[in-house]
Amino acid sequence: MAARFLPSVLAAVAGGGILWLATDGARAFTSEAARRLDVLQSPRKVPEVLLEDMASRPVPLLPQAGEVVLVEFIYTVCGDICQIAAADFAEIRDRLQGQGVQVRLLSVSFDPERDTPEQMAIYGDAHEADGIMWTIARPEQKDLSGLLKLFDVTVIPDEWEGFQHNAAIHVISSDGRFSAVYDTDAVEAVVAYLGEAQP
Amino acid sequence: MKMTVLALLAAAEAIALRQAAEASPVQHVLVQMPLLVLAGVLISWDMRGRRRVWAVPLLLTALTAFLFWMLPRSVDWALTPAGETAKYLSLPLLLGVPLRLSWPWLAPVLRGFLKANVLSMLGVLGFLYTHAPLRICNSYLVSAQQDLGFAFLQLAVVLACIWAVPVLFGHPRWLPSGSAGCSKCGA
Amino acid sequence: MNTISENYVPGHAAAAPQAGAVKLTMVLSGAVFALMMVFGLLMRAAQGQWIDLDAALFYQLLTAHGAGMVGTAALSGAAIMWYFCGRHLVLSGGIFWAFLGLFLLGVVLILGAIFIGGYGGAWTFLFPLPALSGGAWEAGAAAAFMLGYTAIGVGFLLYYLELGRRIHARYGSLVRALGWNLILGREDNDPPPPAIVAAAAVTIFNSIGIILGAAVLVASLVHLLVPGFEVDALLAKNLIYFFGHVFINASIYMAVTAVYEILPEYTGKPWKSNRLFAIAWNAVLIFVMAVYWHHLLQDVVMPPWMLVVGQLVSYFSGIPLIAVTAFSTFLYVRGSRMTWDLASSLLVLSVAGWSVGSIPASIDGMISVNKVMHNTMWVPGHFHTYLLLGEVVMAFGFMAWLVRGKTISQMDGLDRAAFVTYLAGAAGFVTVFLFSGAASIPRRWAVHYEEWLAHDRIGTLFGGLVVLGTLVFVLRFAARLGRREG
Repeated sequence: MAARFLPSVLAAVAGGGILWLATDGARAFTSEAARRLDVLQSPRKVPEVLLEDMASRPVPLLPQAGEVVLVEFIYTVCGDICQIAAADFAEIRDRLQGQGVQVRLLSVSFDPERDTPEQMAIYGDAHEADGIMWTIARPEQKDLSGLLKLFDVTVIPDEWEGFQHNAAIHVISSDGRFSAVYDTDAVEAVVAYLGEAQP
Repeated sequence: MKMTVLALLAAAEAIALRQAAEASPVQHVLVQMPLLVLAGVLISWDMRGRRRVWAVPLLLTALTAFLFWMLPRSVDWALTPAGETAKYLSLPLLLGVPLRLSWPWLAPVLRGFLKANVLSMLGVLGFLYTHAPLRICNSYLVSAQQDLGFAFLQLAVVLACIWAVPVLFGHPRWLPSGSAGCSKCGA
Repeated sequence: MNTISENYVPGHAAAAPQAGAVKLTMVLSGAVFALMMVFGLLMRAAQGQWIDLDAALFYQLLTAHGAGMVGTAALSGAAIMWYFCGRHLVLSGGIFWAFLGLFLLGVVLILGAIFIGGYGGAWTFLFPLPALSGGAWEAGAAAAFMLGYTAIGVGFLLYYLELGRRIHARYGSLVRALGWNLILGREDNDPPPPAIVAAAAVTIFNSIGIILGAAVLVASLVHLLVPGFEVDALLAKNLIYFFGHVFINASIYMAVTAVYEILPEYTGKPWKSNRLFAIAWNAVLIFVMAVYWHHLLQDVVMPPWMLVVGQLVSYFSGIPLIAVTAFSTFLYVRGSRMTWDLASSLLVLSVAGWSVGSIPASIDGMISVNKVMHNTMWVPGHFHTYLLLGEVVMAFGFMAWLVRGKTISQMDGLDRAAFVTYLAGAAGFVTVFLFSGAASIPRRWAVHYEEWLAHDRIGTLFGGLVVLGTLVFVLRFAARLGRREG
């Protein structure tokens, strides 16, 4: 009797186990959710990379002296999500400035060919990025693919010569690790996270 | 022999669709993947599942593979080299073959249940993909995601008609008697 | 191997396969009907301010009452139809037990979700209410409620698959079982009896309802568990009302097989399918699925043509029923000297109640009326008419018939008292609802204004009579069942 059902039970257990593992314990069904979960569980070391900001100055991607860096990936002529995300980014900047948290905000262009410093400055002015606490910057072309891979950002061209990408706020903690991902409009969550990280 | 050739043809067609699959999720999920499953079904067409006891474990294997490839993150993964290899191997061998070997042994009510579930699940996918405010697959555009949702719904309607017509109007005379019925398999 | 003819013994209960399972199901149905009526009574008494009921508990009771009554109406209808289809088909008992088991699993999940988890989002689980409780319940409670529905849906799917398969095997196609040969004037030396015509129609439309209902259930579950996913609210509402309307109507269309199969024993005239009967059931098949738009007449974003179809079909959907079942019941009864025992009285009453219940439904189905009346007590008035005086009475009539003696005799005093009590209570109860609706008293309000209390209190009194009559029916059924089997 038991032998009759054993193969079925084994197949069911194995199947359930595989699906459990494949969804990280029924927690991540999309690759975006999987990326966020993975980053939380095993933060990724961020390499030393220099970016060029909207005043053509070099800025480091890595946090300096105990600060936290928030990174958004954008392209400046983006028509929808980046513009809304920038407004939320500005709000986060204002809130954190008020609390005196040591933090730097970076909007990193994944389209360095078109996003020249002048172009980035237009975008920065439009959203009141001051160039100190929050700046717009672009990587060198040779660093770009490595960065996108590290942050698991997928950029695909859309029908209107722009791009679609998994927009989010990426947290690089003060130890230089990429350690959390938030929705671009999760203002409260980001502020709360930084409040805890730097009491 | 004929079936093996057809199976190879289906597999070749699936591989030929590599580029198209990268560009469009409809091509990927509703053309390439089913072709790979079809290849598995055809290659094992003349194998007889010898014993009834294996029907349920084989079905569970097929269901596992099916559910795995239904996960949005698996569809993204299938565009990476490792995922692509897994896709080409597992869809025929772990979904098509076990499905073909177990299907004739399944009780008619169970078969009907599985078919009804396919329709419901296609409805769910259509529901979610046409209206999700988020991108379900990072590798595809939102508009393509909506196309996929509508394609799921259209497929559900087509399958519902194909499955319902013989039940409603009786088995059409021009079809061989074994293909839709449970007469041969003693269930 | 069983052949059809071995199994087909028209006549008495002893010949029916799986009579034990059906009787158990009817005991359970009777008990749940009584419990749900008590819930209803509590809500009416709370509205009348005779008892003090926390508003959160009121909505939990409302949810339990809705889900419980719809589910039990469907359960009892399914048991009745299974029983009578067993006279014409070989049905697998295992499927019925699986159906019953899944149903009970669903009941446990639903009751747990409501009374442990606090879910009070009504039986219609309209998107996005289950996910927006305002702190009244956790997402897990709403999910358990929907999983309960899913379990019940799976049970019903198995039931209809088995039924459809056996009808298909016996008659070759479902359209033949729907009486298309009769309609088209073709020769058919084995025409489907009324119970099979009904079974074929219900199998088709309720399977469609369940498949679409499962889609919206699972999509809502995904939304609950992974809030990033959303569904189109209007599409979800359409699917929910399609599923809900079809499902509750199916319960009556299943239970009416009791009328077709039992009344002939009293009238002495067999109830046969004819052309008009078949046409009526094919019309029902279409109307049941096309009429649900009348639930959405207040949704201004719906395409106008759908609402117009909803109103038109509301008018027409009463016709096949009244023309065929009610009218022929009237003819059968009038032309014969039938004995009025509890079973026959209840069954004839059920057809009358069902027919009368379609009148307030048609009125509410008018767009101009609906805009004013749909959120008032008029609507519970209408569906209580055809459930309390229709489906539930069919179930009680079937139960009375299951345990009646071999010879038909007049009702005894207690049965007669229970029948009169139930009829008076139910008629008064629904009349109060309809009056309240006409007086623009809103439905689904836990707390009522002073001006409405007279309505609520009279309704509560009539509701008490209904509960009393029901208790006698159910307890006597259980007692007679025990006596006959013991």
